[in-house]
Amino acid sequence: MSRKHDVNKEIENEVYCGTLPVLPKERKYGFIDALLVLSGYCIATWSYTQGSYLATLVGFKQLLIGAFLAAIFMLMVYQLPVIMSVRYGIDIWIWLRSVFGPKGNKIVTIIIILVNFPWYAVCCELFADSMENLLGLFGIQLFNGAHLILSLSCVVIGTIIALRGVGTITWTTRILVPLLLLVGVAVVVVGFTSVPMDVIWNYQPELAGDADKTVNYVLNIEANFAFVITLVGGMAEVPRLAKSEKSGYYAGVLGQGAAGSFFVVVGAVMAIAMRYVTGQMVDDPTLMMATLSAPILGLSSLLLVAFANIGTQAVGSYIYGVMLKSTFKKISYKTLVLVLGVYVALLCVWGKITEYFGSFLTIGACVYAPLAALLFVDFFLIRKQKLDLKSAYELPGHNAYRYSKGFNIVGIICLALGFCFTLVIYDPIKGIVHNKLLFMLTPTLASFIFTGVLYLLLSKIPGIRRYIRRDTYASPDKRPFDRAKVPPRQNIFFLPLMWLLCKMAVSPYKLKIDKHNMEGIKPPFLVYGSHNSFMDFYVTPLALNPYRANYISELEGFENFGEWIYRQAGCLGTRKFINDQSLIRNIARVIKRGDIMVIYPEARYANVGTNSHLTPSIAKLAKMLKVPVVTLNMQGNYLQQPIWNLKERKGARLHADLKCVVTADEIDKLSVDEILGRISRELTYDEYKYQLENKIVINDEWRAEGLHYPLYKCRKCGKDFAMTSSGSKITCKYCGDSYEMDELGQLHSSSGEVIHIPDWYEWQRGFVHEEIREGRYKLDIPVRVEALPNAVNFVDCGIGRLIQDNEGFSLEFDNYRTEKHEILKFPAKSMVSLHTEYDYRGKFGPCVTLSTYDDTFFIYPTEESRDVFNPTKIQFATEFLGGLYS
Amino acid sequence: MDNDKEIESRIDQVLQAEKENQIPRMTKRDYIIAAVITVIALLGIIGGFFL
Repeated sequence: MSRKHDVNKEIENEVYCGTLPVLPKERKYGFIDALLVLSGYCIATWSYTQGSYLATLVGFKQLLIGAFLAAIFMLMVYQLPVIMSVRYGIDIWIWLRSVFGPKGNKIVTIIIILVNFPWYAVCCELFADSMENLLGLFGIQLFNGAHLILSLSCVVIGTIIALRGVGTITWTTRILVPLLLLVGVAVVVVGFTSVPMDVIWNYQPELAGDADKTVNYVLNIEANFAFVITLVGGMAEVPRLAKSEKSGYYAGVLGQGAAGSFFVVVGAVMAIAMRYVTGQMVDDPTLMMATLSAPILGLSSLLLVAFANIGTQAVGSYIYGVMLKSTFKKISYKTLVLVLGVYVALLCVWGKITEYFGSFLTIGACVYAPLAALLFVDFFLIRKQKLDLKSAYELPGHNAYRYSKGFNIVGIICLALGFCFTLVIYDPIKGIVHNKLLFMLTPTLASFIFTGVLYLLLSKIPGIRRYIRRDTYASPDKRPFDRAKVPPRQNIFFLPLMWLLCKMAVSPYKLKIDKHNMEGIKPPFLVYGSHNSFMDFYVTPLALNPYRANYISELEGFENFGEWIYRQAGCLGTRKFINDQSLIRNIARVIKRGDIMVIYPEARYANVGTNSHLTPSIAKLAKMLKVPVVTLNMQGNYLQQPIWNLKERKGARLHADLKCVVTADEIDKLSVDEILGRISRELTYDEYKYQLENKIVINDEWRAEGLHYPLYKCRKCGKDFAMTSSGSKITCKYCGDSYEMDELGQLHSSSGEVIHIPDWYEWQRGFVHEEIREGRYKLDIPVRVEALPNAVNFVDCGIGRLIQDNEGFSLEFDNYRTEKHEILKFPAKSMVSLHTEYDYRGKFGPCVTLSTYDDTFFIYPTEESRDVFNPTKIQFATEFLGGLYS
Repeated sequence: MDNDKEIESRIDQVLQAEKENQIPRMTKRDYIIAAVITVIALLGIIGGFFL
C-alpha cells in the first residue's frame, strides 16, 4: 500500500469521522482539556502582529481593556451557540446547512476560507521577517526578492507537512504549542525586564495630527472583536468533543478571551519595549529578543519562531483542507491543500498583508459578524435550540434544509446585507468612517446586531417563516393560541391601506354594493355575512366603509398571514365548531366599545355556491347583544373562486346586499325564531342561479376542474368517489357518464339533460342520510394528522386513524402534548358541521379539520385512503348526525 | 448507504442522549452568570472611553 493511498484513506476517514455526530461516550474533553486545545489553537505568532497593531492605536490601559474585555464580551455572546455543538456532537458547518442550505453552505465555506486564510500569509511574512532581521543582525544583507522567497518557502514546507496527513500534523501540533508557549514566556520575560514597568503601563502611541482618540479606541475594540470572531472557523470542531455544554462554552470563551488575549498583550508589550529602546514598533519576537537581550537568544528564538510559523501554516492548511474536503467530497484532499497553498503564496507575492492587517481583520469580521448573528438568532430564537439532524446530514427522505435547490435564500441575503451594512459604516481599506454614530458600536457589533434583528424580523413574516422553518416538526411551538386575548380595534392607520387593497382586489370584478334599510344605522351593530370564498374579506370592509369592524377568523388564517397582521385587521381568532366562551366574551367587548362585529355564521365556504342551514344560536347572540342586525349577502364571490378550484375566474361579477334586518327597537320584541327567520331569508343564495339570471359568462377552459370534490357520486351508476374532472367536463371513471359545464355554470349530459349543480350536490346528501338512518354509514380509514395549536406552526402528529359513525368522530393519532398514541372522541351532537378543504392552500390536497380548545387537527388521507376520503361526504354525515338537518 | 445508516444510528443515539440529559445542559444559573460577565465586560469597554 503506497504512502499516497494511506494519506487519502486517512483523510477520507478524518472527513467521515470528522462530520459524524459524536456520541456522549466518545467525548474526550473536560473543561481543562478543551481549554488547552482551544488555547493552543489561538496562540500563534499572529498574536504578536495583533498586539503591535493595537499598540499603534491606543495606550496600554485601553489596549488591555480591548484585548481582554472586548474579546470576552464578544466571545460570551457569539460562543453561546457552541452549546448546540456540544449537545448534538456536531460542528457548526453541519448546522450552517440549516441557515444557508447545503449548497449555500459550500459558498459560505469558500468565502470563510478566502477571508480567513490571510492569517497564514501573516505567518509566512513573519517567518520571512524573522529570517531577514536575524541575518541582518549578523551583518548579512539579502538580495532583492529574498523576502518573497523566504515567505514562499514557509508556504511550501507547511503545505508539504499538511500533505503528509493526520499523523504528521498531530506531531506538529504536539511540538508547536509548547514551542509557542516557550517563545511567549521568553518574550514576556525579556519585554518586562528590559524596560521600566511604568514605560509600558503609561504608554501612549504617537498619533498623527488628524487622528481621533475615540476613533482609535473604537478601532481597538473592533480589532479585538474581529480577532476573536474570525477564529471561529478553525475552532468549530473542538466543542463537539466536550463532555458538558458549560465546559465547551467556557473553554471557547477563555481559550480565546484569556489565553489568546494574553499573547496579544505580550505582542503589545514587546512592541512598546522595542519602540522605547529602538524607536521602532516591531511585531517580530526574534528581532526583539536579539535586540533586547542577546543575539544568541535571538538565534534560539529564530528556530522556535521559524518552526512555529511553518507549523501554524501546516496545521491551517490541514484544518481548512479537511473542512473543504467535507464540503467538496469529490475533490481530493491533496488538490485542496495545494489550492490553499497557492492562495497563500499569491498573498505573499502581493506582499502587503501585514500592511493591511487591520483591513483584512475587519473584512473578515464583515463576514463573520453576520454569520455569528445568524447562528445566534437561528439557534436561540428561530429554531429554539432544536435542529433536524437528519435533514442537516441530508439523509434520504429528510429534505427540510434543501430550501431553493440547496440554497436558503433568506440566510444568504441576510449574510450579504450584514456584510454591506458593515461597509456602510466603515471602509476598512481606506480607514474612512462613514457613520460615526454606528461606528461607535464598532462595525462588527453593529453588523452583528443588524443581521440578527433582520433575520429575526424576516422570520416573523409568515411566508418566510414557513420557508426557513421547514423543520418545525423538530421543534414546534406548542403553546396554545390565546383565544381570550382582547381583540384590538381595527388599526386606524391600517384601515385606508386595507380599503385600498380591497378596492384593488375587487376592481376586476366590478363590485356593486346595494344598501337597504341602512339609513341611521351606525355602530355598534352585528353583521352576518354569507361565506363563499376569500373574496368575502375584501368585499365586507368596502360594504362597511367608512366604519371599522372586527371579524371572526379561523386560527388557520392567523398562521397563514401572521398574527400581527390579522390583529391589525381586527380579527378575533377561534377554532371552528367548538363551544368558545372566550369568543362570546370578546364579541361582547367589541360591541360594548361601539364597533361592528362581523360574523360569517355558516363558518365554512359554500361548496357549490349555496347557503348552509343556520342555527338559532346566531339569533340568540343578537338578542344578547341588543344591537341592530345587518346581513351582507355577497354574490359572485363563489363564482370568482370556488373552493374546489382556487384559480380566479376573471369573468365573475360581484354584487353585495347590505341590509338591516333587525333594528335596535325590534331586537327585544322579536323572538329567536323570528330573528333567525329574517337572517336566514336574507342569507339564502344560489350562486349558479345568480350566474344564470345575470348571464355571467365564465369561459375558462378549466372551469370544471375540481368539481368532482363536491360532486363525488355518479348520477348514473351511483358509485361514490367515482367522479373525475378535467377541463370543462366531469366524468365517472367507472361508467363513463360525462357532463359538460357550460359558460353559465350549468351541466349538460350527452343526452341533453341540464343539471343545476346544487341539485346534484343535495341529491348526494340524501344518500348519506339514508346510509346513516339504515346504520350502514361508517368511515374507518388511515389518515395523516397535523395539529395547529397556535398562529405559529403546524405540528406533525403522524399517521393515525379516523373513524366516523353514528357516535361521531374518533381520531387516533400521536398526541404531541402527551407524546403518546391516543384516541380523541368528538361526539356527533357536539358539531353541527365540519370544516373541509378540497385542496388546502392549493398544494396540500383534501382534508377535514376537527378542533379542541387548544388544537385544530388537519386530517389528510394517506396514499391508502386517498380514493375513499371525500370531505363532502364526511361533511354531509357530520351535519346530519349533528342535527343540522333533523 | 452504509454511511447513511451509521449517521442515522448515531443521530438516534444523540437524540436519545439529549432526552436523557446525558450531556449536562447549561442551567439557568449558568446563563445568568454568563449574562453578568457579559455586562461587566461591556461596562469595562464603555469605561475605556473615559481613559
